[in-house]
Amino acid sequence: MGSIRRGVFRSVRKTTLYIVVAGIAMALIFPMFFLFTFSLMSDYESYSEWPKPLLPRIKVEFRLTPIESVDGSYKMEIWNNSEKGFTPFGPEENTRANKSLRKLSNFIRNYSNCFISEKELSEIMDSVDQNGAETFILKKKVFNNYTRFFTLYSGAAQSVLNSLATAAMTVFLSLSIGGLAGYAFARYIFKGKNVLKLSVLFVRMFPPVAIALPMVIILGKIGLYDKPVGLSLIYSVNQVSLSIWITASVFMGIPESLEEASQVFGASKIGAFFRITLPLAVPGLAACAMYSFIYSWNEVINALILTQFNPTFPVVVYRSLLGANAQVHLIAAGSVAQALPAIIFTLFIRKYILQMWGGVKV
Amino acid sequence: MDNPTGVLSREQKKKIIPYLLIAPVVIYYILFWLLPVVRAISGSFMSAPADEGGVFTFGNYTALFKDPVFYQALFNTAFIVLISVTLEFVLAFGLALLINMKFHGSGMFLFLALIPMSLPAVAVGAMWTSGLSTYGWLNSFLIRIGILNAADKIIFLGGGHFAKMFLIIIVDAWQVIPSVMVILLSGMQALQPEMMEAGYVFGGSRFKVLRKITIPLLKPTITTAMILRIIAAIQIWLIIVMLFGYNRLPVLLEQIVLNVDKYTGSEAFFRKGMALSVVVSLIVSCVSFLYLKVSGAFDEPAGKGV
Repeated sequence: MGSIRRGVFRSVRKTTLYIVVAGIAMALIFPMFFLFTFSLMSDYESYSEWPKPLLPRIKVEFRLTPIESVDGSYKMEIWNNSEKGFTPFGPEENTRANKSLRKLSNFIRNYSNCFISEKELSEIMDSVDQNGAETFILKKKVFNNYTRFFTLYSGAAQSVLNSLATAAMTVFLSLSIGGLAGYAFARYIFKGKNVLKLSVLFVRMFPPVAIALPMVIILGKIGLYDKPVGLSLIYSVNQVSLSIWITASVFMGIPESLEEASQVFGASKIGAFFRITLPLAVPGLAACAMYSFIYSWNEVINALILTQFNPTFPVVVYRSLLGANAQVHLIAAGSVAQALPAIIFTLFIRKYILQMWGGVKV
Repeated sequence: MDNPTGVLSREQKKKIIPYLLIAPVVIYYILFWLLPVVRAISGSFMSAPADEGGVFTFGNYTALFKDPVFYQALFNTAFIVLISVTLEFVLAFGLALLINMKFHGSGMFLFLALIPMSLPAVAVGAMWTSGLSTYGWLNSFLIRIGILNAADKIIFLGGGHFAKMFLIIIVDAWQVIPSVMVILLSGMQALQPEMMEAGYVFGGSRFKVLRKITIPLLKPTITTAMILRIIAAIQIWLIIVMLFGYNRLPVLLEQIVLNVDKYTGSEAFFRKGMALSVVVSLIVSCVSFLYLKVSGAFDEPAGKGV
């Protein structure tokens, strides 16, 4: 009896575990997935459907019917999934005239993200003349909002370049000077080390916004305000301290004896570092670089304060959302584009993130 | 050893190398951290830059401390920090205890749990604005799964002061709880099971073993993560502005951005923002100091490593 009871208890426990895990996973995935769905919605879906579609659609159904009272003119309708029926779409009367065809084709492109040429439209009209009302399905150009975001919000494309430049310089700066100090921390005992260690920790926790305000004046004086270089100099304050922490633990993990051994075989100290230690440290250093990249790519408050005409990508997304003509499905596209690099890099460095957060010893 | 040639001996070299290695960091910190911090403090006591005829004044601080919005912001921030950090820890700890087992797909789950924290703040903002707006995905979802009628909509963003704060706390919890949970989980899995088993052998109940053995052993992990959470929670602002707009639910950092970014070009507002940033830094520094004290960073000998 006891063993049966224990078995039942165990399977109950296991089932609970999986239910909880599945619940958390869904609570995490759903909001992100719905944001993604929104980013694929056409204007029509966004404005005219309620409840909104929660699964991305790749096909749209249209219907063209002849208008009885006016010869040679047609009515266009689109399938509305929430009303479960066709609803009028585009100009009230469409004719075979070139101007009318172009207007209809443009309307379909702008509001449903589907592409159909004027020639194809007139062919459908031909067959409607013969057979009466006809429904046809068009493939939606799924990622249309992404291109639209970058054309509609001026400076968005340039801001991506600014973001990349800022991130590259932040990575370079924090990894180079942070890496040197990290090596010193890992390999040497020296006077003042504890003071430096404490200040590094302190700087890491200091609110970044506090140095942004005086930096407006300082960078203005040296001509770096509103430039990616200036921004990366601020971002690195936080990232250098993190880099020291990460690189020190990376170098600690590589035995000093390896360097010493190669020195026995005639390598110089510097040669031993470049030939032995550095190659072994590459994975850890890459993780460190990705961490700095994510920080720089995501950061908003300093970029908001320290840029004016050359904003970074997150600032553009932020301003477009607060702006007067905020179109939520386009902004969703911008945000997904912004989030993607961060998610990909997180996949690579999840082990280090855990250490950094849960590391008892900082 | 005598060294008449003036060349450094091996020993001396070895002493100098670490200082050469840390020199760039020290110089960089002095120029881009210490100098701005000093400038922020001195600047918050000036009416304008010194070379533009600014004079010493307490005016920025009196303007700040006379502003009723400042006290609202202080209260809101404190409330959000207190409730969100407590809630996040209780929930994360409970969930971690519940799934403290190795299971199929745990690696995937771990990655999934880390995503929200690494998402850009603006993406999280866009996610919840598109979700919580009246015609957003949350209402759509509730209608589709049949909880709401198509005609009914919940107006999530239209609540009162405390409703707004709780909404922010929930949204923040969505982003933070998974990571805190994963960290506590990895802390738990690093504990030796013998310790808990010993507790059971001596007749301890589940609850007693948890209280007397598991939690004390996890204490370092918990304090570290908790204080870092407090520091982060003090600096919540973007999601609030993205959901409600400026000045609807004032918090400290939002007020800094408001003074600097929204009222651009006004020296008085800029200086007031500066004074506020000094106040925020002071608060965060106190918490950081507490953290360094608790984690024992002050009394560690200077050995190798960080």
